[in-house]
Amino acid sequence: MVTYDLGDGYCGCSIDVATVTVSPDGVVTGWSEGARRLLGHHAREVVGRAAADLLLGREVPEAVGSTFTASRGWSGTAGLRHRDGHRVEVTLHAHPSLGGDGTPQGFVVIVTTGPAESERDRRMVEWAFAQSSIALSVHPTASPSGQLDVAAESGERGAGVGGVGGEHAPETGSGPYEAADADEGFLRCVRQVAEEGTPMRYERPAPEPSSAPATTATPDAARHRAWIIELWPVRDPATGEVVGVGTAAFDSADQHSARERLALLQEAGACVGTTLNVTRTAQELADLAVPRLADFASLDLLDSVLRGEEPVPGPVDAAVVLRRVAHQSSAEGTDVPEAAVDLGAIDTYPPFSPPARCLTGGRPVLSGVDDPDFARWIAGDERRTARVEEYGFHSVMATPLRARGITLGVAVFARTAASPPFEQDDLILAEELAGRAAVGVDNARRYTRERTNALTLQRSLLPRDFPKQAAVEVAHRYLPAGTGAGVGGDWFDVVPLSGTRVALVVGDVVGHGIHASATMGRLRTAVRTLADVDLPPDELLTHLDDLVIHLTSDDASAEGRIRDDTGEIGATCLYAVYDPVSRVCTMASAGHVPPVVLLPDGTVSVVRLSPGPLLGVGGLPFEATELELPEGSLLAFCTDGLIEARDRDIGLGLERLCEALASPVPSLDATCDAILQALLPESPADDVALLLARTRALHADQVAAWYLPSDPAIVADARAQASRQLAAWGLEDAAFVTELVVSELVTNAIRYGAVPIGLRLIRDRALICEVSDASSTAPHLRRARTYDEGGRGLHMVAQLTQGWGTRQTPMGKTIWAEQPLPAG
Amino acid sequence: MAERTGDQTTPHTAATDGGTHTLGLLYPPSGRNREYTTMQLAFVGGIAEAATPYGYDLLLSPGDSHDDPLFLRMIGDRRVDGVIVMEIRREDDRVERLAEAGFPFVAIGRNHRADMADWVDLDFAGLAGGCVQHLADLGHTRIAFVNRSEQLFNSGYGFARLGDEGYTEAMKKLLLTPRAYLCGDDLASGEEVVERILRDDPATTALVTQNEAALEGIYRGLTRHGQSVPRDFSVVGVAATPWAEQVSPPLTAAEIPAKEMSRVAVELMMRRLRSPGSPPRHVLLKPLITLRASTGRCRSDPGSEPEPEFPDFGLDF
Repeated sequence: MVTYDLGDGYCGCSIDVATVTVSPDGVVTGWSEGARRLLGHHAREVVGRAAADLLLGREVPEAVGSTFTASRGWSGTAGLRHRDGHRVEVTLHAHPSLGGDGTPQGFVVIVTTGPAESERDRRMVEWAFAQSSIALSVHPTASPSGQLDVAAESGERGAGVGGVGGEHAPETGSGPYEAADADEGFLRCVRQVAEEGTPMRYERPAPEPSSAPATTATPDAARHRAWIIELWPVRDPATGEVVGVGTAAFDSADQHSARERLALLQEAGACVGTTLNVTRTAQELADLAVPRLADFASLDLLDSVLRGEEPVPGPVDAAVVLRRVAHQSSAEGTDVPEAAVDLGAIDTYPPFSPPARCLTGGRPVLSGVDDPDFARWIAGDERRTARVEEYGFHSVMATPLRARGITLGVAVFARTAASPPFEQDDLILAEELAGRAAVGVDNARRYTRERTNALTLQRSLLPRDFPKQAAVEVAHRYLPAGTGAGVGGDWFDVVPLSGTRVALVVGDVVGHGIHASATMGRLRTAVRTLADVDLPPDELLTHLDDLVIHLTSDDASAEGRIRDDTGEIGATCLYAVYDPVSRVCTMASAGHVPPVVLLPDGTVSVVRLSPGPLLGVGGLPFEATELELPEGSLLAFCTDGLIEARDRDIGLGLERLCEALASPVPSLDATCDAILQALLPESPADDVALLLARTRALHADQVAAWYLPSDPAIVADARAQASRQLAAWGLEDAAFVTELVVSELVTNAIRYGAVPIGLRLIRDRALICEVSDASSTAPHLRRARTYDEGGRGLHMVAQLTQGWGTRQTPMGKTIWAEQPLPAG
Repeated sequence: MAERTGDQTTPHTAATDGGTHTLGLLYPPSGRNREYTTMQLAFVGGIAEAATPYGYDLLLSPGDSHDDPLFLRMIGDRRVDGVIVMEIRREDDRVERLAEAGFPFVAIGRNHRADMADWVDLDFAGLAGGCVQHLADLGHTRIAFVNRSEQLFNSGYGFARLGDEGYTEAMKKLLLTPRAYLCGDDLASGEEVVERILRDDPATTALVTQNEAALEGIYRGLTRHGQSVPRDFSVVGVAATPWAEQVSPPLTAAEIPAKEMSRVAVELMMRRLRSPGSPPRHVLLKPLITLRASTGRCRSDPGSEPEPEFPDFGLDF
């Protein structure tokens, strides 16, 4: 690309070079060997003759200043006659050879073949070199000082246009070589190229962006000083010797910033979203963006996102209310003095503000002091005005945080007075960054939601406080499995039933995790519902069995379900109903561990009941077992996690449960703990549910029951009897309502029911009035029309009492109504 | 209460005439060692309580014959305005004497002589019939009746006879065969009567007893015959004193409404004192049968059981 003289003249540049000396009067005084090779004449034939004789047709050479009289050298082309007569087109370079008085003593004429254009080309090359948009330079390999001197430089900024011979022109201060000269790395490269003779590329990185705005006067320069310098050896074509090093420097500012952006993005991939925490993810983005992209960054999220809820898809409406989640600035320390909104605080963005606009449009918005809306936004908030004034924010970008079509919030980037305004490329970068952060935030949000759901589910599935009931005193424990699985499928429940009875439930869905938990939840709800219908235990389990079969087939037919199991729901359940009036506990089991009972006399035993099939098997009957319990008996219900372990079977486990139950402990809670301590393995592989219930009994003075013959005349007697009983209990205040209820229910039973008919009053936490008959047809609450005679009774009962209901009994049905006991 | 006849007399604080404002109560202790039973004390307390609002005190005479000095003093010296007589026997000389003397009295219980005066009593016939109805409602058809001792029965116009009548009538109304048995007031007789009942009809599934004293024996006899109450055999008492609750299983029976009867007796007495010439009033109380644990559905005689409305889908396959 560039040729330059290594010594004196152009020797070695071309083989067809002839040197001739001519006296000032035009006589050839010297003839070189090159001239003989070029023109064929021997020196003896030419020396002494007029040089013009050699010209073909004696024409004047076309050259500027083509006179030998001038003391200046000249160049030109001419046609010369060869010894054999043919014409040789040559270029002539005449250099005057001056004497001591400054007058030319002769001329040295260098004759080269080739057209005259080559000279123009050479000049053009020089011009091109000088005017190149790329900074070029040459370094001689061996300078006398041993230093690598710059022999020639060129550059787009007009710097170093010294031409051949290269003098240093004053630069504006941003040339690539100026700093490069001082760059040891660059010099090393030059030496290496000179020594090894192989081309190289040297990248001169831009200096680190300065966080202290005062250090660089021109921010643009600070940002764009990145160069790529190509270096190559310059060889002498004749000898192949490396005579110099050529360099070409490219301004790589664009490329550099592109790579910076890429690096930032890559880092965003690694640093943003390291946790499944919404706030943390937002902060990570803010930390990353400052100071590399902006001097201040803030992330505001919709409140719903922070709660883990599902935001509305699509762009957000104008005047959005957002919560500041993270912000960062280039200021020292952990404080972010630039922020106009505190972390966790709420801010409303007016519709014209850049953040609101970007949310509405779903596109990033570039704004700054030249944007009237920006000024309007800033002016609208005192604190914001103060911050902008103080720190000189002049350029902002607002990018929506959108992931999976959902807008989560907005990221705002701002630059202070010390930094140049954002450009379009920055906007793209910001959008990309925000996109990545949004995915991270969305992941975190989804995780938060899932986790909240799981926890809520778990919490809602297991009872915390049992409703008040008088039939049994209970204590319970639930322990999740020790190994990570978290939620499990064990459950227990205490359901108050009508007539002061209570249902005690314990069950176990095989497996762990949310699936088992969800199934457990469904079963628990089902059991509660069925218990509310007041089904006897064996029937209840039959219904539950049906439900499990349906659930299984539903699950199996659900498309795309992860088949992590066979699709079957394995579940066991034990359902017991204890009646404190009769002190009878009726139990039925669906493949569940039998309960253990401790009688008041200290004897402890495993309740013998038919184990029953697992739920979901179907077709097999469940069998109810009745157990009359003395008052104060202690029933222990548990799941197999407690009594079954790797090192022992169920039998042994039950034995140990019996032992633990029998040892005297002051309270039920303490008994629970003692049992768990005695039986629980170090790290239980299965979750464990334990429910203890100490039975109470209602005594004769709390219950009164009468037989009623099916005779309408008996209604009055029944009413009177009830009234007398209330008087005996000191509940005269309840007499009016009770008499009404008794009248209605007894009349209904006599009119629609079947014998035998019974009336029962229970005084416990509430006053319960029950009428039973042998018909299993349950009454319905219906709305009586204006002239209807019937249909009002139950309405009245429903209005007057705090609850009424009906339950099926082995003997028919019972309709009950409950009134609160008068205070005191 | 059924068949209540007496009108309500409003209590007032003091009688206007120059009476003693005292009522006599003839109530001989009948328990062992002549101690008052819980039931008797309930009556004494009930009457005293009911009389107080009327401004009347109570003079208690534990004598059971007309020779009792206190009784004689009561009547002869007119130390009381009127007398409430309890533990009425069929032939009761106290009642005779009172009636002869024209002394105002009210009887709790009744006999033919007392019919001329005011009385309040339990409807034993109705109660016995109610017991039968209760058992029939439960599906029992072979129902026996255990009455008091032969001696008591033969003494005439007492609840023993009334109960028997009520039982027989109810059974006939239900087209069932009545089988009544007399039984001594002791444990051994109870065992023995069960023996007789099951010998006469082994398919018997229920009995109505008017004999509480024999109840323990009846239970024992049933147990000896492998009959569990109430699973296999139902027992219902006509009227039970509080200890019916203390047997196991507690006896289903009508409770004797001591308080109610006491109140009615005092009301009748007040009315009698206010208008001595008014015709006698008789109040018959029929309390409801209190369900305890000695009755259950008939199971051992499926042939006579009424068909259930819906066929029972048994799962015994």
